[in-house]
Parts: sequence; C-alpha cells; structure tokens
Amino acid sequence: MADEVTTPRRTFLQACGLIGVAVAAEGLTGASRELAAAVRVSRPGPDDPPIPNEIVQRIFDERFQGRPITRGHVTLDMPAMAEDGRYVPVIIESDLPMTAEQHVKSVFLIVDHNPDPLVTAFHLSPLVGPVAIQTRIKMKRTSVIRAIVETSGGELWADYLKVETTLNGCG
Amino acid sequence: MPETGKTRVVLPERIQRGDVIRVQVVMQHPMDTGFFRDANANIIPAWFISEVRVRYGDAEVARFEWTSGISKDPMVAFQLKADREGLLTVDSRDSRGSAFSGQAEIKFATT
Repeated sequence: MADEVTTPRRTFLQACGLIGVAVAAEGLTGASRELAAAVRVSRPGPDDPPIPNEIVQRIFDERFQGRPITRGHVTLDMPAMAEDGRYVPVIIESDLPMTAEQHVKSVFLIVDHNPDPLVTAFHLSPLVGPVAIQTRIKMKRTSVIRAIVETSGGELWADYLKVETTLNGCG
Repeated sequence: MPETGKTRVVLPERIQRGDVIRVQVVMQHPMDTGFFRDANANIIPAWFISEVRVRYGDAEVARFEWTSGISKDPMVAFQLKADREGLLTVDSRDSRGSAFSGQAEIKFATT
C-alpha cells in the first residue's frame, strides 16, 4: 500500500524536476544569447588606444594633423582570434551619409604592430554606397586595429579592436 | 606566374536603376612584403599592388592606397549606387610599375 503511494509521488517529483531543468536550461540559453549580443555591441577594443610607436605617430601626424578622433559611426568587424596572420578578414562599416553635400572621404585601416601599420586607405566619392568595405589583410602579431573614417567635413570617427594572432603573416 | 595582375570585377546578376550594389574585386598578385625568404634563404623582394582606381563610366568613384599588408591574391568588396549604365573599370599598379585592369558592365535589368 505504502509503495503504491510513494511510486507515483516519486514519478511526479521527477517529472517536476525535469521540467524545472528544462525551464532553467531555456532561461540560461536565453540569457547567454543576450549576453553574446551585448558583447558584440560593446566592442572589446579600448576606447582610445594609446599610440604605440613613432611610425603610427607619423601616420597620425601626416593624415590627421592632431584633429580629435571620436569613437562612433564606424564598426570594425574582425575575428578576435585570427588563426592565420596571412589572411585576416576585415569588414569596415559606417552609418555616415554618402550624399553630394556630406560623405565619407577616406577610410584608413591601421594595424599598430605591423611593419607598415597603415595597411590601406580607401578614398571614396559619394557614388559609393553606404560604407561597407570588406577585404583581407596580413598581421605580424597580436595588435590593436584602428578603422578611422574621415568625412568630407574633416571629422574623424573610429572603431578599435584587439585581434590576436599566432602565425606571423608579414615576415 | 603568368596570371599575375588578372583582375575580376564581380557584380550582382540582376541590377535595377538606383540599386546599391555590392562590387567585389578579386586580383591575382603575390603581394610580397619583402620580409620573407625563399627555400634558399634569399629574401623575396617586396612586390605588391600599391594603387587601385575604380572608374564608373568616366568618373573615378574610388581610389585605394594599398601596401603589402593586403593579403596575397587581394579581394576587396564595397557598395556602389548604380544610378546609370556603364562600364565599371578597376585599374591597378604594382610596386614594379606594372599596370593591370579589369572591368564589368553595369546594365539594368529590363523587367
């Protein structure tokens, strides 16, 4: 008699336990999904990375003449860990307008610790659509990457990332 | 490397007036940095595409300054406002002074 009572009770509790675990797991994955999105929005690169060496300083002097550079309006997308320094994918996007009156004039990509840090500069006319440039670059070693955008009005906007790499792609 | 400098300009299959299209440029080039050595320990001299110009009809719409920091067999993609029909030409020049060119036609779908 006692057995008949305990058995369904145990089954009931087990069932509750399973549902509880399922709900918890669902809640957890939901939370981790939100967390991943949050991490993606707040980029891991520092807000205003210091100039690491004279070569980068010279690039800044030549190209930006000490004008202030503000983080924003630019999204630099790269893998946090680049396995092969010879082929590192880069996507640079910007929400700045591309009209005849106001447009993105230049996009600079600087890899702080490359032998030639100014890897590329893209000079654009307003006929180029919203900035979404995709390319592949080389990296010598783990470095801060800077994507700096210059508008036709002379404003400078940027995004920064720290990308780690193990295989030297520059020699 | 007989194909060095070969330039392909890839456009969407179907373009309508006013579309913002994705233009992809794929080139063949060693993009040597000058820091690597060959099997006999001789330095492989720097040899890379340094300048790329994109023309849409007669107008230059973009110019890229490149260094050997761009990967071997360079690829670049960007967006363009397709506001008229015409040739899209990509001219480039490398550090040895060789010039390369590739083009594709922007033609609007009729339907």
